[in-house]
Amino acid sequence: MKPRMHAPILSVCPLAVCGVALMMATSLFAQPGPPSPSQEPQKITASSILLERIVPLEDLLIPEDTRVSMYENVIQQLIKTKKFQHVYRSGDRHAVDAPDLVTLRLTPEAYKPGSQKEREVITVAGATSIKVRLQFVTRDGKIPIEKEVDGKVRFYGENLRATYDLAKKVAAVVNESF
Amino acid sequence: MRTGSMGIMQDVSNIRGQIDRRSWWRRNALFPLGVALLVAAVAEPTFSGPSPAPQNLSSHSISGVRSVIGLENVKPGAKGTITSIRAGLEFSSGKKNTEIPTSSIQDIFTGEESRQDVGGMKGTLVEAAIPYGGGRVVSLFSHRVDVLTVEYLDPQGGFHGAIFVLPAGRAAAFRDDLVAQGAKAFIHVEGPKPGEHKQ
Repeated sequence: MKPRMHAPILSVCPLAVCGVALMMATSLFAQPGPPSPSQEPQKITASSILLERIVPLEDLLIPEDTRVSMYENVIQQLIKTKKFQHVYRSGDRHAVDAPDLVTLRLTPEAYKPGSQKEREVITVAGATSIKVRLQFVTRDGKIPIEKEVDGKVRFYGENLRATYDLAKKVAAVVNESF
Repeated sequence: MRTGSMGIMQDVSNIRGQIDRRSWWRRNALFPLGVALLVAAVAEPTFSGPSPAPQNLSSHSISGVRSVIGLENVKPGAKGTITSIRAGLEFSSGKKNTEIPTSSIQDIFTGEESRQDVGGMKGTLVEAAIPYGGGRVVSLFSHRVDVLTVEYLDPQGGFHGAIFVLPAGRAAAFRDDLVAQGAKAFIHVEGPKPGEHKQ
């Protein structure tokens, strides 16, 4: 009787060993290797940055206070990053002499005006959102980094708070790009 | 019996005394009260803050203005008085005065918006504290405001923009005042208004 009891255990054992070996091999191959140079975020070197005036696409109407608020918030956030010796505004004459200047161009592509009242009463409605194309332009006209960034105000706060949210995200892109 | 009639007489005199005292109170206490109410009624418009009707623009000054963003050396959200002086636009908040020279103004925009009566962090907490969703009812109360946006250049030629929130119906007259002094302002196409305006 006894040899008969051992037979199924012996037949299952190699199968389990094979399974464990297979799992180990899979986990070894699944380990992330060293990051390839193409996956690393591209870094730009610049001591000064200039923020161009924000001009939306032709058929897109954005209230002027939203545009101005966007500009001023982005300037504030660029200064806060402390990545640059100078943060120039559009039209600043001193920017011409800056040696390694990078220009930040923000082009609004979509704008949805929300409602503070709807947000606070209905909660799920009334969000204000702005979508912007972000480009860093070097002196020689090259665009090393181009991204889409959006700013939103979903629940509480004035509509212009969406521009603050956008500026924070622009600053995050700057932090990872310089 | 004597004592009984005396007692009745005393009672009657007591009642008369009480009536006399009451009438004295009416004469001497209610009269000043009436005078006080009259004074309060006359004084009320004086102390009730800005009247809804536009003030005389010859003063070129609007109080209760909020500087949202864009003024140098002024904290965003600071409240103060905006004045259209000969040299340009002046915003004073407490002891701080900031000026935008007329010659540097590139464009002026006016708009209107709706703002919640109860807002900010404190307002939000108060609304959240009201049980049975009462905070949402509070959110229904809002008031109209004017938004004045001024684009200007700094001495180096750098672009700036300042946003002010004014009491309703005041921005257009203020812009006209600045334009009359020589500030630039173009005719603009109105952008999409926020959802509040769909009402």
